Amino acid sequence: MGNDLRNKADNFRDKTVMISLQSVSKSFPRSQETLPVLNHISLDIYQGEILAVLGPSGCGKTTLLRQIAGFDKQDSGSVRMDGQEVVKPEVKRMMIFQDFNQLFPWKTVLQNVLFPLQVNRIGESDAANREIALQYLQLVELSGFEDSYPHQLSGGMKQKAAMARALALQPKVLLMDEPFGSLDALTRLSLQDLLLKIWQETGVTIALVTHDIQEAINLSDRIAVMGRRGVAGFKEIIPNLLDRPRVVGGGGYSEIYAQVYSLMDFRNENE
Amino acid sequence: MKNKDSYGKKTKTRLLWIIVFLVIWETIAQSRTFPEAIFPSLPVIAKALGDSVVSGEILLQTGWSLALILQGLLVGLAAAVLLSSLAVRSRIFDGLVDTLTAIAHPLPGIALLPLIIIWFGTGTLAILVIIVHSVIWPMILNITTGFRAIPPIYKETGLNLGLNQVRIIKDIMIPASLPYVLSGIRIGWARAWRALISAEMIFGAVGLKGGLGWYIFKQRVFMDTPGIFAGLFVIVLIGIVVEDCVFAAFEERTVKKWGMI
Amino acid sequence: MRLKIIAGILLAAFFGLTLAGCQTEGKAQAKKPEIRIAEQYGLAYAPLQIIKEKKLIEKNLPQIEVTWRQLGNTTAIREAMLAGELDVGFMAIPPFLIGWDKGMDWKIACGLSSTPVGLVANKDDIQSIKDFTPKDKIALPQPGSVQHILLSMACEKLWGDPKRLDNLLVTLDHPDGMNALLARREVSAHFTTPPYLFKELENPGMHQILDGREAMGEDFTFVVGVATAKFYQDQPEVYHALLKAIEEALSFMEKNPAETRRILADAYQIDENELQKYLDHPDTDYSMEVKGVMKFADFMQKNRYINRKPANLEEVLWK
Ligand SMILES: Nc1ncnc2c1ncn2[C@@H]1O[C@H](COP(=O)(O)OP(=O)(O)O)[C@@H](O)[C@H]1O
Ligand SMILES: [Mg+2]
Repeated sequence: MGNDLRNKADNFRDKTVMISLQSVSKSFPRSQETLPVLNHISLDIYQGEILAVLGPSGCGKTTLLRQIAGFDKQDSGSVRMDGQEVVKPEVKRMMIFQDFNQLFPWKTVLQNVLFPLQVNRIGESDAANREIALQYLQLVELSGFEDSYPHQLSGGMKQKAAMARALALQPKVLLMDEPFGSLDALTRLSLQDLLLKIWQETGVTIALVTHDIQEAINLSDRIAVMGRRGVAGFKEIIPNLLDRPRVVGGGGYSEIYAQVYSLMDFRNENE
Repeated sequence: MKNKDSYGKKTKTRLLWIIVFLVIWETIAQSRTFPEAIFPSLPVIAKALGDSVVSGEILLQTGWSLALILQGLLVGLAAAVLLSSLAVRSRIFDGLVDTLTAIAHPLPGIALLPLIIIWFGTGTLAILVIIVHSVIWPMILNITTGFRAIPPIYKETGLNLGLNQVRIIKDIMIPASLPYVLSGIRIGWARAWRALISAEMIFGAVGLKGGLGWYIFKQRVFMDTPGIFAGLFVIVLIGIVVEDCVFAAFEERTVKKWGMI
Repeated sequence: MRLKIIAGILLAAFFGLTLAGCQTEGKAQAKKPEIRIAEQYGLAYAPLQIIKEKKLIEKNLPQIEVTWRQLGNTTAIREAMLAGELDVGFMAIPPFLIGWDKGMDWKIACGLSSTPVGLVANKDDIQSIKDFTPKDKIALPQPGSVQHILLSMACEKLWGDPKRLDNLLVTLDHPDGMNALLARREVSAHFTTPPYLFKELENPGMHQILDGREAMGEDFTFVVGVATAKFYQDQPEVYHALLKAIEEALSFMEKNPAETRRILADAYQIDENELQKYLDHPDTDYSMEVKGVMKFADFMQKNRYINRKPANLEEVLWK
């Protein structure tokens, strides 16, 4: 499904812009002054791509993603999706958090996925919704855990369930804020593979925030590197045209790694 | 498993102490130190209880009291949820609810009785007002605390999933704060039950329905001491059943099952 | 386990003995003459105010220690007497009979007063007890009170069913009952005595639809003095000093109307004209004669308010 197209994704100008940020600024009030976090940021997200947003901790990645999702209002500039101003969270932009708590603990895994389907009347009937929910749980490889409660699941399974819940609503874009950041290394790798598989099967657009260079290289079509907080906005947006599946040490891997690495401000990250 | 064991143990020691207590009671009663009108023996109390069960009176009065308290609890809970939702959303309402709670919470319902009689009369409405007053303030305190303790991620996820404000309250905030809501209901129940019995002892219908408090009061004015103990026994029994069975079972099926406490 | 049970039984025995000990201690103490008297609030208890003010018991028995207690209702007085905390209580005849029926060791010492007692309604369409609808409520002090028994008597006379209006009754003490009546919410009638009776009737639209004599069919003593057997037997000289004091109070009231008025107006916080109206009322009568006991007893036994009744007045009267 569009695999070929993506693999020769050499020319981004051919792509449709889905989300467009124009000179977005955002600052937070501190005791006396205000703390500028986003400073005139502009960015386009193309339909169908995986965009990795990479930067040191505290640089404003979460803040950026929350503006796109519609959770917070930017101070100035505009966030548009398909030409329309983003003013509030919507089902077509689903956020996935790093926090395992995003599942509702009082619902089973199946109910967690089913509930928003019912609220949004996605399926024609309850039976149809149930069918959809089961299908997405299968997609994230959670079959057999439908009736478990979230507290009975491992961290990786919780993130899978959260992905199933988001995908079942057929959003246009997934906004993922370090979704695998709290997982152990092995689980993280397997979830990265799973995410790629899902992306290929559904064609959903993904904006993925991460502070892990390898994760960015393994998954993305482009890597937007942010500088230190409030200073530079995006330092550079690097196209990542490596052939998939990507393996560490494969052709071109170390070059792109070095390029990204050199852009990262590791020092003063807590300033 | 471990939990069940300790539960069984608790029941056992409790049973043991109840038996000890009954033995003490009967020893004193049999010693005839006090007149029977002051200290009736267990068989006499059991007979009074049996008689009023057979005649249906105590069951009727108990049912009446329970129906009232259930209504009062539901009204109180609904009002508390509404006020708490407004309070966590708006500063002005927060101030209002906070002030109301500060004023009304320390006031025992019984102290308001003279006013309640003038404003609401002496019927079911007056008793309901007393019950609602007893439950609503501790519930508001608990529910607002619970609402404020909800991780913002639940609400944000809810909004993202397309829930409207009503659904956010009903489907997210209430279940997410259920441990607090539950403890609010527990406190509310205990206070309402006491308030109800006291209010019923002060005014009730002489004829049929006056509730359990009224039943006790009637035994008192007709000097039927064993009947008083029969009424007290039912009050204690209901207290234990509600606390240990109803609330505990509800907790077991909800917050405990969900891993929330 | 077994140890605990044994400990429990020992504990029981221990408590039993200590409690028993307390009781006998109380008995041994009663040496120096004392009298503990309970009264209630109301003009029907007026002679007791004279006794207090003029220290009439002390006059007859100088070394006596007198304790007065004002309790809210008859039930509380009865319970205090049962617990041995009071020697004499003033109350109406029906509550006395209920206690006597339940085996309380007490009898009537004397009468004290007859008083107006009336059922006041606040709705124009209620002109007699026939006019109550299921929506109305009738406030009175408590079931088994003299007001309740009088109303039951009136119901029996009218319908042959003394419990006919029981479903409408609501228990309120006199002040709350008056407030509820004046508030004109669901309480539409109040069975009460002065000063509440007069205060209520002063309000527009309030009217009396039944009085005590009409209900009972004859005169009866409203308040009697009741003494425990223990007091009567252990302290006969105090008992007689009390009766003497009541007698003197009644004759004082007769001979010194002006001072009586002043004392009572002070004690009840009402003005003297008001008080005079009460004292002049045809149903007001202070007397030690005891009237109506057997009629109450017959009615109450017939209608199962009590299980037994005295064979004659003397059975429930100290002599
Ligand atoms: N709601 C907020 N109020 C105040 N300061 C905030 C808020 N959210 C984020 N910040 C600050 O903005 C900066 C960027 O935060 P964030 O976007 O979470 O960074 P990142 O996700 O890249 O680690 C941090 O210094 C953080 O303290
Ligand atoms: Mg972050």
